[in-house]
Amino acid sequence: METSYDIHAINDKILKVKELLLELESEGETFPALARNSKRALVCIKMLEFNISDVVSFTTDD
Amino acid sequence: MNHQKYWNPVLETMPREKLKQLQFKKFKRILTWAYTHSIFHKALYDTAGLTPDDIHSFDDIKRVPKVEKSMMRDIQKKDPYPYGDALCVPLEEVSAFRQTSGTTGQPVYQPDTWQDWDWWAECWSFILWSQGYRARDRVFLPFGYNIFVAFWAAHYGAEKLGCEVVPGGVLDTQARILKIQELTATAMMATPTYILNMADVAKNKMGIDPRELSISKITCAGEPGAGIPSTKKRMEDAWGARVYDHSGATEIGAWSYECEDQPHGMHVNEAMFLVEIEDLDTGEIIEEPGRRGKMVITALDRMAQPCVRFDSKDVIEWDANPCTCGRTFRLIKGGVLGRSDDITKVKGVLLSPAAIEEVVRSIDGLGDEFEIVVDKQGDVDRIKLKVELLPEVTRSSLENVLVDQLRLKTNLRYQIEYYDYGSLPRYEVKAKRFKDLRKKH
Repeated sequence: METSYDIHAINDKILKVKELLLELESEGETFPALARNSKRALVCIKMLEFNISDVVSFTTDD
Repeated sequence: MNHQKYWNPVLETMPREKLKQLQFKKFKRILTWAYTHSIFHKALYDTAGLTPDDIHSFDDIKRVPKVEKSMMRDIQKKDPYPYGDALCVPLEEVSAFRQTSGTTGQPVYQPDTWQDWDWWAECWSFILWSQGYRARDRVFLPFGYNIFVAFWAAHYGAEKLGCEVVPGGVLDTQARILKIQELTATAMMATPTYILNMADVAKNKMGIDPRELSISKITCAGEPGAGIPSTKKRMEDAWGARVYDHSGATEIGAWSYECEDQPHGMHVNEAMFLVEIEDLDTGEIIEEPGRRGKMVITALDRMAQPCVRFDSKDVIEWDANPCTCGRTFRLIKGGVLGRSDDITKVKGVLLSPAAIEEVVRSIDGLGDEFEIVVDKQGDVDRIKLKVELLPEVTRSSLENVLVDQLRLKTNLRYQIEYYDYGSLPRYEVKAKRFKDLRKKH
């Protein structure tokens, strides 16, 4: 069964959130609550990458 | 169509050619990661004269050296302590320690980072979603919450789905049953041995019929039982619930699952794992269905201590048919059929403990417990099978059926010993029902 999700558009949004979280993490050098919670949120982003971004990156005809 | 049938509708219904392409690229990524971050893996591949750049096609994957459990035992307790040099991340990134149960020898230590631990829960989310777990479920976990992975990751997977999880840790069996009753839990997870044990305790010690409790689905792991039709039937009959199989391992991850369609087999989560089946004698990779072999597995996204072409010793075979559920992930027929180190030759015939379990559990007058002991009488192999008779059942009423079925299903003769109900050992986690005493000689 082929599905009709626009995984490129979804992936673009994932990458935007990732970029923002990386920025937040880098701003937390003296602010552990900011750094650690951003890092933790990036773990969730990684799961989105496994679920969606890898499909975009690793299958050529999408 | 149920629009929420799949946890990941893109991956789980992906055309197989595309799935294979994804697996290959992910394999190269994890191989490169291991080669560049793990001293152990680099040395292993350098010795074989191979680098990740030498892997150009799916067919090349079999050139990558396998990792045996014994190798992992050898490296641990060295630096970085206690994991050894297969660790690919700084120690401060490790957030959880677990170890294998030690059923087959000295336990192997397993480091997980936040990311790897969330990956475990993600793998479990595929499993639980496919088995019908949803946010409305109250999931009871009757296990020890100790140093072994066991159902820890299932706990977090269920939470990820939004289920309400009840950690039934430091409770005895009767207290667990009462808590299930009190909270009207809808699902639970345990080894097949313990699921049967709980039903036995509820019925025979507490006067509670497990069918009257609110459990509607049970996920099993740790033993092959839920893939053995007669054992599965006993569990489903005892609890009035649907029983699903799952297989995973500490050093691998949660790699397979039976879906709601109960296809008498398990899906391999091929988006997260690469499973190869290797002929037990020749080592040739088996692609076609119907031929049993040993599983060699790669966890495609596990980073801290990678699992690349791990020799799992699990015996499996591909199913010829796709599942009716619509998932394109391949099925392994009958689940995990046993372990290659348990499947042994007796009198020149291959003996599979799972085949004996199937026979014993298919006979109504026999209890759930049994034990197989292989030893030698002089130079001749002998198999002793210990079984329990249910109360008020006579040996003569089932002896002929048992002997005939054993001969038919296993091509071997047994010295059968009959015991009163309740006299063989009971187990709470993984049972040890097979003993090959010849190995000591």
